[in-house]
Amino acid sequence: MTITASAPRKRSAWQHFFNSSGRGDSPFKRLLIHLALIVSCAIAVYPVLRIVSVSLRPGDRLLSTSLAIVPEDATLQAYKTVLWEKEFLVWIWNSALITTATASIGLILAATSAYAFSRWRFPGRKPGLIFLLSTQMLPAPMMMVPIYILATKLGLTHTYRGLVLAYSVTTVPFSIWMLKGYYDTIPRELEDAALIDGASPLVSFWRIILPLSTPALAIVFLFNFMSAWSDYLFARVMIASETRLWTWVLGVRDFQSQFQTQWGFFSAASVMVAIPVMALFLYSSKWLISGLTLGSVKG
Amino acid sequence: MKHLTLDIILNSLREVGSTVLYIFLSTVLIELLVYFLWEPLSALSRSIDRALSFLGRTVRYAISAILIVAAVVFVVAMVSPGQEPSSWAGYWPLPGVAFLIGLFVSPAAVTIFSPRLRLPYMLLVPAVVGLSLLVVYPLLWELNVSFTNLSPKHFRSPDFVGLQNYIEVFTRPILKQITFTPLFLRTILWTAVNVVFHVSGGMGLALLLNRKMKLRGLYRALLVFPWAIPQPVACLAWRGEFHFEYGFANIVLQRLGLAPIQWMSNPTWNFIAMCITNIWLGIPFMMVIILGGLQSIAGEFYEAAEIDGASGWQQFTNITLPLLRPILTPAIILGTVWTFTNFNVPFFINQNELETSDTLVTALFRSAFQYFNLGDAAAFAFVNFALLLIFSIIYIRVTGGLKGATE
Amino acid sequence: MKKHALTLISALVVLGLLLTACGPAATPERVVETVVVTEKEEVEVTREVEVVKEVEAEAKPVKIVLWTKEGEADGGLQFVQSLADAYTAINPHVTFEVINKDVETLREDFLTAGLAGSLPDLLWTVNDHAGPFTDAELILPVDDLFDLSLYVDSALAAAELGGQTWGVPIANGNHLMLLYNKDLVETPPTNTDELIEMGQELTTGDQYGLVFNQTEPFWLVPWLGGFGGKVFAEDGKTPTLNTPEMVNTLQFLYDIKYTTPIIPPESDYDGADTLFKEGKAAMIINGDWSLGAYKDALGDKLGVARIPEVVGGEWPHPYTSGVYFMLPVSLEEDEAKMEAVVDFIEFVTGANNQALMVAKLNRLPALKAALDDPLIANDPILKGSADQMVVGTPMPTVSEMRCNWDAMKPEMQAVLADTKSPEDAAAAMQEAAEACIAKLE
Repeated sequence: MTITASAPRKRSAWQHFFNSSGRGDSPFKRLLIHLALIVSCAIAVYPVLRIVSVSLRPGDRLLSTSLAIVPEDATLQAYKTVLWEKEFLVWIWNSALITTATASIGLILAATSAYAFSRWRFPGRKPGLIFLLSTQMLPAPMMMVPIYILATKLGLTHTYRGLVLAYSVTTVPFSIWMLKGYYDTIPRELEDAALIDGASPLVSFWRIILPLSTPALAIVFLFNFMSAWSDYLFARVMIASETRLWTWVLGVRDFQSQFQTQWGFFSAASVMVAIPVMALFLYSSKWLISGLTLGSVKG
Repeated sequence: MKHLTLDIILNSLREVGSTVLYIFLSTVLIELLVYFLWEPLSALSRSIDRALSFLGRTVRYAISAILIVAAVVFVVAMVSPGQEPSSWAGYWPLPGVAFLIGLFVSPAAVTIFSPRLRLPYMLLVPAVVGLSLLVVYPLLWELNVSFTNLSPKHFRSPDFVGLQNYIEVFTRPILKQITFTPLFLRTILWTAVNVVFHVSGGMGLALLLNRKMKLRGLYRALLVFPWAIPQPVACLAWRGEFHFEYGFANIVLQRLGLAPIQWMSNPTWNFIAMCITNIWLGIPFMMVIILGGLQSIAGEFYEAAEIDGASGWQQFTNITLPLLRPILTPAIILGTVWTFTNFNVPFFINQNELETSDTLVTALFRSAFQYFNLGDAAAFAFVNFALLLIFSIIYIRVTGGLKGATE
Repeated sequence: MKKHALTLISALVVLGLLLTACGPAATPERVVETVVVTEKEEVEVTREVEVVKEVEAEAKPVKIVLWTKEGEADGGLQFVQSLADAYTAINPHVTFEVINKDVETLREDFLTAGLAGSLPDLLWTVNDHAGPFTDAELILPVDDLFDLSLYVDSALAAAELGGQTWGVPIANGNHLMLLYNKDLVETPPTNTDELIEMGQELTTGDQYGLVFNQTEPFWLVPWLGGFGGKVFAEDGKTPTLNTPEMVNTLQFLYDIKYTTPIIPPESDYDGADTLFKEGKAAMIINGDWSLGAYKDALGDKLGVARIPEVVGGEWPHPYTSGVYFMLPVSLEEDEAKMEAVVDFIEFVTGANNQALMVAKLNRLPALKAALDDPLIANDPILKGSADQMVVGTPMPTVSEMRCNWDAMKPEMQAVLADTKSPEDAAAAMQEAAEACIAKLE
């Protein structure tokens, strides 16, 4: 690498955009970036705010010509009813419990399996990866009937157990693919160094690889959480007949019937349901910073 | 009316807790089982190899292939649709035995059971077991059904119809008028448009966010809204926006002096509406994944490149993209597959059930569940599946995506 | 690694055992009933023993899983639950698990449950489910189990297939009618010419003369009847959609939107509903399930009338059906459940509960005796609803009907979106229905 001494160069806007280090941005460029982000955020958030306004409207009026977020005759009645008179808290509790359990199990199962895919060459590796990918290609509604039959035969319907099992396993393929990708970016030299020092492969996995892949683990956990949290198909198939087990998805569907929907309750419940997810995202953002950038890799 | 009482909380914690524990325990037990059985199995495979070496490799591969294929076919036949148990079910140990014999006869057995591979296989077995139950069994069931005429009129004991369902997928209209090829092409268009915008939008936002700035956490949290909101709710929100009278889209158009659009009845505009909604939904996911990948690229690369005088674009194409590839490739493949099989968005935005707005999956769903023609639907699902599989294999070959950055 | 693994596993095993052991025992509570047997003469002793046996048999707890399509929105689910609770109060050994599933979900889940062999014990659902359920041989005919002469004929007709009746009617109706806002409309129109005239006067700016759900063919069939058409031929299975009557119907719908506009440019169920509730629509065509909500919104201003007569044709014939009890075949294997179910059905369709239903849900009863109740004659809304029902026609319940619905829907929308002519649309409908029915075989 030749080092050419040169005066600090003037950077074009494109360079700012593509240069990911973020140093040396002029205030004006920063302002532009902020503006772009603010506009994007507005687009991201606005439709959701409209749902909020439906939840604040009295009567079950889904539609209205006013664009205001908070309608003039706003009322919190829908929230009160959903919280105290419906079994909303039970649904949220069920969902939270099931989802946390599944996301954790799925993560554990996938973290170890992905490591196998990433670090070894063995017969069946490539077909295995393709198989995992292909599990995403069968449309979920089609699988519901055989899964229901299987679950009935195994006695897994109408229990927490069946749903937790189903969710844990179905999130594994995606998790393995993603984690394998991240593991691949971690250089082998790190583990080789540990092996020379006498650590077994699993110990080096636990002590070295896992801490370095926290962003991947966080993303996978978030994703597993999201899939289980909003899933309707499995829940309907496995636990719909036991109201004590209902997740919020089944409960909220209850507000809809063939021709009519109780929009007030539906949207109030939807808003409340989104809050834990948002909180989770906010909390997890600190994990999304990779350990690699802390300087452990020196070429 | 059951309210959330301490009783319920404790019971549910107990049940879920024990489930988690069982799963964890079984995983560990299975792994230990594999670990300790490995050496004996390895020795066994070597001795069988020696004993059968007189047969020659080709012969052994042939026998092994025949046995394994026979086992699979047997299992597919055993899995019965309809309500009567299959007549083959009584012989259930047979395929297992055949499979094992086939496995050990094959010369590959020695390579598979080699001692150095003990660890990876041990780590994989629990996932394989779980997936076999929840993915392989339904797959085999569907495969079996696709060769029958299972429907309400043939419910208890459906008849075997061979490839008839598969042929009909291509020749008969799926629902009313539209046939397979136009539906397929439209689904490809839908997927292409969405994925292009997902990746470019996600990349753009990730690049913007990948720097130290105030409020970065807030921006990220807000931008992730579309992903955090449950899909049916988001679809509902957008469906409201496209409403002719009350929707945001038309109100804005009217205030700008343009004519309002019949989003729900006009085929072209309905398709565009579906795309807009799905793009809005899909960008945050890509953004988060790419952002994670960007963060794992050490800053030193860029410093070195700048010293060398590389422009922003050059840095992007020579450093960022290649280093992102191991993460980007699976993300794009998965994004494509998910968009292709996306059910929620086309279904909910297309409330009027315009046939012109159907994708393969929604047409499949309607045909399956509105009439419960499971035989037809299963064949359709497998054709779908085959197409996606071919696409993925081609994509991986072309981009060399399975190679990691450190190889 | 081995050492650590072993300790870890043993710890986990112990923990696992603890968790399961601490779980509540899942044994059902056994109610011990002591029967005092007094000493009597031989004959009476035997009788006493018989009585004891009966009591024991009755005390055997029965749990009935009831799937109902009634939702919370119109108070239906609460009503079903209250009936179940009332029955349990009288017969403590019978308990219910009432599950609400919306109509589509109920059909899919029932068929799926049939495949898996885990059917519920009782269904409270719509008549057109009888078609697919009888095809799959999953429900029982009710002719021999109940005295069907107690029920309204049209209600029974809507659940009849192949000469047998497959459901016990609970409520009758589910039909469309003309509802109007008395502030805007003094006397409702009696024929289509009047409708158009009044509609045009009332359609100004952001107000419309008439609104209805323009996306569902359920709103098309009354007009088809008015023009003298039917969707099936005499045999009840061959679709007759490409007829001059259908073309006239489609033309009529086109006219009230474009030629003499009295309806909004685009309107689905929610749109029409909102407009009427907000007072921006003078008249709406909607069904008896909406009566409750409109009563709340408009109070005394709500008027009910027949859908106006087609000039040169007949009174429109909206489809009538209602809700029915259907009995899954799994009941045949459990005598105690079958008994309880039959008793419950007779309880619900008895005169008292029918009157209760009329009062709470604004629906017309299926029991003949309950129809004569003055409650109905005195309530103008119920009277209007009954008046409309008289000219209704039972909704076909064969599986092929679904093909008709699916065939009509896009074509109706195409005509209303002005992308197809009525003639082309009718021809396309017929083609689609025939293709669909061929696939059902």
